[in-house]
Amino acid sequence: MKAFEYVNAQTPESAAGLIGTEGRYLAGGIDLLGEMKEYIATPARLVNVKNLPTTREISKTPEGGFRLGANVTIAELAAQADLPAGLIEAAAEVGSPQIRAVATVGGNLAQHSRCWYYRQRDLTCLKRGGSTCYARDGENKYNAIFTGNPCISPVVSNLAVALTVLSAQAVVWRKSKEVRLTMAELYADAWNNPLAQNSLQPGDLILAVEIPAPVAGVRSSYLQVSEKSDFDWALVSCAAAGSVNEGKFRGVKIALGAVAPVPFQMEEANALLEGKPCNEASANAAASLILATATPFSHNGYKVPIARALIRRTLLNLAK
Amino acid sequence: MSEWPSDPKFLGKDTRRLEGPAKVTGAAKYSSDMQPEGWLYGMIFRSKWPAALIKSINLEKARAVPGIKGAVTVRDGERPVYFYGEELAAVAGTSKQACLDALRLIEVEATPQPFVVDPVEAMKPGAPSVFTDSPNLSEAKIKEEGKVDEAFAQCAVVVDGEFSTQVQLHHSLETHGNTIHVRAEDCTAWASTQGIFSVRDGLADQLKLPQSKVRAITEYMGGGFGSKFGPGVEGSLAARLSRETGLPVKIMLTRFDESLAVGNRPSSYQKIRLGSDKEGNLLAFDLDGFGSAGFSSGGRTAGGGGGAGFPAPYIYKVPNVRTKQAGVATNAGSSRAFRAPGHPQGSFGMESIMDELAVRLGMDPVDLRIKNDPFEIRRKEYAIGREKFGWAQKYKKPGSTPGPIKTGVGVAGATWGGGGKGTKAQVTINPDGAVEVRCGTQDLGTGIRTVIAVVAAEIFGLTPDKILVRIGDTDFPPSGGSGGSTTTPSVSPAIFDACTKGLQQLQTVSGVADARGVNFLPACRKLGVEPIVMQGEWREGLSSSGAGGVQFAEVAVDTETGFVKVTKILVVQDCGLVVNKLTAESQVNGGVIIGLGYALYEQRVMDPQTGVVLNPNFETYKLPGISDIPDIEVILLDMPERGVIGIGEPVVIPTASAVANAVANAIGVRIHSLPITPDKILEALDRVPKGATAGNEELDPAFARVERADGVAGDFVDFLPA
Repeated sequence: MKAFEYVNAQTPESAAGLIGTEGRYLAGGIDLLGEMKEYIATPARLVNVKNLPTTREISKTPEGGFRLGANVTIAELAAQADLPAGLIEAAAEVGSPQIRAVATVGGNLAQHSRCWYYRQRDLTCLKRGGSTCYARDGENKYNAIFTGNPCISPVVSNLAVALTVLSAQAVVWRKSKEVRLTMAELYADAWNNPLAQNSLQPGDLILAVEIPAPVAGVRSSYLQVSEKSDFDWALVSCAAAGSVNEGKFRGVKIALGAVAPVPFQMEEANALLEGKPCNEASANAAASLILATATPFSHNGYKVPIARALIRRTLLNLAK
Repeated sequence: MSEWPSDPKFLGKDTRRLEGPAKVTGAAKYSSDMQPEGWLYGMIFRSKWPAALIKSINLEKARAVPGIKGAVTVRDGERPVYFYGEELAAVAGTSKQACLDALRLIEVEATPQPFVVDPVEAMKPGAPSVFTDSPNLSEAKIKEEGKVDEAFAQCAVVVDGEFSTQVQLHHSLETHGNTIHVRAEDCTAWASTQGIFSVRDGLADQLKLPQSKVRAITEYMGGGFGSKFGPGVEGSLAARLSRETGLPVKIMLTRFDESLAVGNRPSSYQKIRLGSDKEGNLLAFDLDGFGSAGFSSGGRTAGGGGGAGFPAPYIYKVPNVRTKQAGVATNAGSSRAFRAPGHPQGSFGMESIMDELAVRLGMDPVDLRIKNDPFEIRRKEYAIGREKFGWAQKYKKPGSTPGPIKTGVGVAGATWGGGGKGTKAQVTINPDGAVEVRCGTQDLGTGIRTVIAVVAAEIFGLTPDKILVRIGDTDFPPSGGSGGSTTTPSVSPAIFDACTKGLQQLQTVSGVADARGVNFLPACRKLGVEPIVMQGEWREGLSSSGAGGVQFAEVAVDTETGFVKVTKILVVQDCGLVVNKLTAESQVNGGVIIGLGYALYEQRVMDPQTGVVLNPNFETYKLPGISDIPDIEVILLDMPERGVIGIGEPVVIPTASAVANAVANAIGVRIHSLPITPDKILEALDRVPKGATAGNEELDPAFARVERADGVAGDFVDFLPA
């Protein structure tokens, strides 16, 4: 990798001050070091943010919700039994035990594209500033089936999908203050802009994620299908949250991962489920609505039936 | 017939690996761990073009990087490049980072050429030529026995199928490489190799040194699977850099490198027709097949041991057979021998069509196999296996499991030679009773050290831990490369011979009539100061060849997501005399896992637009993980009367075929190409929206050699290095 400076930050303010134009924040480093070794990222300075206060803690918010510090590891998250089930399930599917022991909440949300054209050291694809999205006419089996821009790289953060349906917000240090972004807002830019991995601006730093206080009766579920049983990226992932009262869906949210540059959700589908009986027919109707606008490429049409199955299964899990 | 002891204490029993504790504690030093005084790190500079004419390579800026001590080109002057990742130059320096920095400063003047990486595209008229002086598609080899067309006309049932297999990479966990120290008069190489003598001879030839002045050492190494013979380009470059710098140079390939240029299992494409009478007696077989061994394929070369040919109609006796096979050159890394070269491809096509025939005949697939298999031992293995597996209860009409998760079973057989000869060995019996066996073989991870100790212990009536086994050094008596399942059948007889002679000599000198067991030490004490040193060698009668094996697989397929879970593999395998049951079973487990990767996960993916390898890592080149591995049950037929037979290759072969047959039995539709991934399952089940394809589409256009207007390579300007 390219030689770099290494500095420790003690506060968000100092971290943001140290980052400069060519710096990158370093937490678990799982994604960043991979990019640096391939010369995809060549930062002049790494700002270690692992020691920022309270970022390694899982705590309760005054409103009774959860605050997950950005430096909480995925393994710690997966072991925290009082968190919503869907989030624990999503965390448990991340990488391998070794990766989960080091990778962080903030890093999982901010990780970059895993498209194999983007990660190929000798190619310069559209997302890396080139002129072509090779995946569009190439080997696109792992790519998106929804996109708003010429790049068809999907978001691969498991946590983002689970956190979307939990109505979580990322607490981001931006221009000397904390701002709160919904998951939709955190990724919105990636929908339109092929160069964007998410909506974070230069110098932005995720400090925590906040999950609203759990409501009695609300359940959540996360499922993914990969080619391997373990230690593999999702071909499609799906999370749902909401309650089932007297056999009817109430306040249900559903989102898909690995199919779009953002955690893919459709308000109309959530609305459609409201008050509908918790059964396969309702779940299938929601799936049909969500998938109606899918535009698969030459090798990834199979993601549509997987998404359909996962939408149904996660929704029906809410009654279990 | 066999001279092997009839009532053994250790042969055929479980002896733990002698080096196990050293390996799990890290005390074992692998070739890649060697750090001789003053060693330099070496790295290879590779082509970023899939095809190009290189005009010049300038190393000056690379040499100027602090810490860099040497730099060489693979070849001076103008040269062609045939694939992405081809070796062009190498540097040596005091740190990995210095080498990485230097590689980025190497300047190449080159003219990119049109290229083609897909074999089906490469054989179309107008496709870019891999070689200027020969066609991409080789002349087909045609074989015909009997009267095939007439026989098909007589068949009660005829089935047709088209099958394809992917390129599989060896991906040894220890990558290819060596640490080499070239001095004025001699050379030492610590090699990660399956053949220490092939490394010695290759380096002696390159360095113009006598073979006696070159020493290759492989104390421990982390796998080869057929891809590690000779010094390789990486060894040759390390030797040249060592000669240039006067220091030891270590070049161990990176995982990225490992995916490009050190071999693979070639792809195959097979159009098969098979016919039988109504009782299931096979009558006629017709194959039109081709495959690609990368750039070492097609019209220019035959491809050697890693070539694109495969056996057909594999293990079955068919009176009327016609086969037509060709190789196709592509701009891709060359194949090398890969554990059971040719057989897994041949097995997949043939065993798939056999099951299609069984379904059409309404016949049990095991019965169909037994009926047409000329090898008696394998027929017996089917009979043992079907009982043990519960085949009669588990085999049902294809696709008949109720609900979305469907289970199925499949079966397939395999053959391999597995003979070996030519090894020499030396045993030293010391007056204090210490026994040392030396043999110039190498342990590529299969446990030959322990096998040697077991044989010696058996003869002396000692326990295996009392035998000091020294291997992996060309200063020891010579043995062959560890490939083709030859090591145990080649080495065991030489150990037997040396130790038997040693025992006789001990008995003669000591006057102890039976110096084995409790008498061994007292006999040794009578030797005075002179140890017994005895040479032995491989001879007839202690080993043979011709192994058969069968495997049964059970799978569960989620028909809504396409996910396949293999739940059980049963292996029934013959390997003659079982020397050490524990390591033999371990060999079987390893073979099955390779087969499982071939069946469901592994595939080198190349980009047709840019010619690069898209998955040069373990993230997207998917190897089976621990949770993908099912219960593997191993039944070894111990047949001491046949002598020792190797077991490495045959156990790799039938796994993918059995899994593919189990998947077809589960879902009622056949997947015609490996690996069997969720996208192909869903497509075969007609669940994928129209217009999207997963690669399980019909291959027919390729066989028809259709004309295509746009057979020209895509635009490759975008990714040229700046």
